[in-house]
Amino acid sequence: MASTSKDNTNNCTAEQSNVTDTLEPGACSESILNPTDSFEEFASEMSSSLQDRDSSLTAKGSTISEIQSEIGESSKENAQMKNTKSSDDLQSKDGAMSASASNSNLTEQNGVDEDCDNEKDDYLQSPELVNKEKHVFILSSAGKPIYSRYGNEDKLAGLCGVIQALVSFIEEQNQDILRSINTKDCKAVFLVKGPLILVAVSKSNESETQLVLQLTYAFNQVVSMLTLTQLNRIFEQRRNYDLRRLLSGVERLIDNLLVFMEKDPAFLLGAVRCLPLPEKARENITNAIISACNKIRDLVFAIMIAGNQLITLVRMKKYTLHPSDIHLLFNLVRSSESFKTAESWTPICLPKFDATGFLHGHVSYISEDCQACLLLLTVQRDAFFPLSQAKHTIAEKLRRSNCLVAINDALNRNEELPTTNPLKHIGIPEIRHFMYKSKSTAQLFTSDPISLDRLQDYRTRHKEGGDITVKKIEKLSDIDYVRNYRKFCSQIHCTSIPAKLIFRSNSHDTVIAWVTNGFELYVTFDPLMEKDQAIRAVDRLIQWIKKEEHRIFIMNAPTF
Amino acid sequence: MSRCDFKVVLLGCEHVGKTSLVIRFVTCSFNGNAPYQNTIGAAFCAKKMYSKGRDFNVGIWDTAGSERYESMTKTYYRGTHAAIICYDPCDIYSWERLQHWMRELRIVEEDCKVYLCGTKKDIVDSGAAAREVSEETVANYSKGLNGHFLTSSKTGENVEELFQKVVDDCVADLKLMKDVEEHRRQLITIEPVKHKRFCAC
Repeated sequence: MASTSKDNTNNCTAEQSNVTDTLEPGACSESILNPTDSFEEFASEMSSSLQDRDSSLTAKGSTISEIQSEIGESSKENAQMKNTKSSDDLQSKDGAMSASASNSNLTEQNGVDEDCDNEKDDYLQSPELVNKEKHVFILSSAGKPIYSRYGNEDKLAGLCGVIQALVSFIEEQNQDILRSINTKDCKAVFLVKGPLILVAVSKSNESETQLVLQLTYAFNQVVSMLTLTQLNRIFEQRRNYDLRRLLSGVERLIDNLLVFMEKDPAFLLGAVRCLPLPEKARENITNAIISACNKIRDLVFAIMIAGNQLITLVRMKKYTLHPSDIHLLFNLVRSSESFKTAESWTPICLPKFDATGFLHGHVSYISEDCQACLLLLTVQRDAFFPLSQAKHTIAEKLRRSNCLVAINDALNRNEELPTTNPLKHIGIPEIRHFMYKSKSTAQLFTSDPISLDRLQDYRTRHKEGGDITVKKIEKLSDIDYVRNYRKFCSQIHCTSIPAKLIFRSNSHDTVIAWVTNGFELYVTFDPLMEKDQAIRAVDRLIQWIKKEEHRIFIMNAPTF
Repeated sequence: MSRCDFKVVLLGCEHVGKTSLVIRFVTCSFNGNAPYQNTIGAAFCAKKMYSKGRDFNVGIWDTAGSERYESMTKTYYRGTHAAIICYDPCDIYSWERLQHWMRELRIVEEDCKVYLCGTKKDIVDSGAAAREVSEETVANYSKGLNGHFLTSSKTGENVEELFQKVVDDCVADLKLMKDVEEHRRQLITIEPVKHKRFCAC
């Protein structure tokens, strides 16, 4: 690991532990989110053997069928539901087998490309592809291109062939898994998931684990549109299938997800950001949802979100959501303008919740003057109208109880709210930036919430952008701070020798990274900060978070 | 239970302009600057329409054209009174896919009224793109159906006419109207009960 001479890694916690074990801000005995740490999961993914990998994708019991059978009164109804479920599969057998006109077009194009090898080599040198900070490619295990972050994946058939050959050579000849290739300034990370091969080629400072995490998210994005069952079946039936036919429109979701992951530390920490709200307002919103929905038996989750932040989540008893599923929902809502114009009814698969089947989602914005989006997820495919009615009841209640105003205030970052500009409010001028994760509830708070407009510069496909820039940055944005934390984050989550407390000071800044049983905290200070001075500041910071915890975190776990 | 009297479903290939058609009809607007975005699943809109001296609530399902949702679309055909199948006259593939929805529709909802709708009339008229589906083909094909319209969501031409014809045809259908009246009666009997339950708590 490259480290500067001033790097100072400190592994002792004994002297500090007494400060905070009693108060872990944001901690809660019951959580709406499943707090399993995804870092450990990805680390184990990276050390798995070939057999482990193959068995990990065979479906476990389906949570959706479990819920359906619990709700189903008679066995007859049950059988009917099972039928419904199987016909839910988006693509019927016949459909998958019949080659459509668009498909034959694509293969022709590929054919042309293969004829002129020179042109293809030139394409790899074209400005669309050269000098990007991070490439992501998805291809089928037969080597057919499915997605490329930059450029036109049609023209990358040659490259995909090479990737496929590398992966399968190591598997077949060496009975091993190709995980990464490292060059002087570049990492290529490979992930084989079911019938897909995902590759990230990165010049950023992200660790291998962090890249695997991003590839897994990209895979889950595909699964969320198709279900794992269907994805596997398609390729069992036809190894050579061109998956792009079924993924039209999903490229945009993956594009946005990749940018989202680079900018929002929520992905880095496996946590969900909540919209800071007065405790009373959040309680009113939750109660409005419960009273409008508690008669609807098949409803599994009611989730209200705004600007990539969670407002509330009401759930069926026994079931929780994993942060990564919520991130996919954030990305879906964020990327789909069509939800704004009408009430939508759509199949959604949440890969961590149940990768084998679809939930059905009623998705709509609360009102024209409030950008909060309500998702009602059920196992019942015919439930649109009762859910639509419930939504109108909820919207009406929120308007009457002034909750819409509270949401808008938080979204527009009203200056009077302490959470809008926390650093000013805390009053420790040496702190430049911090991020805090409450581990037991998998929730996150940062000093500078990523604002909506900051995310709007989502780069669109085939367009310029993503190039490596060398220009010196005058003032760091929250995104740059997050970039800096990546290294500390991987040291803390390192499986062999995890660090508990890191204090590092150099000519640019001083960073403290601290992990306890209850939380993870990353703070950036001015340079020349003394250790004890920094520790005292951290204590005050934690006390402030404790004081505001009911506003910045969801501290209960409501059910229907 | 739906409060709508008539259920209309829009079908057709992706990118033919189903969502633009619905937005034009429901909000009387068209955004030419918005980049294309595919519909996720299906979107539901309702609008009040007037026919034969009475008001009717029309519920419209705007389905996703993407192949991914194809077998899912069946959910939306069920119980539909009318289907509007859209195609782009300048895109022969979208015309060829018509057959698919025809077949599907006949299996699930035999009695449903079927209308053909060619979209993007302004583009066809201006000659900005060449017609790939001849008028003759369309005329022959639409003979056995309930109607054919060539619409433009950009100018609004024929959009109102198309939906008015759909509603008028439904109102003229005695068997269908009997169901609608029955449905309205059910709604009335269910509502007060619900109301009471709320008061009790």
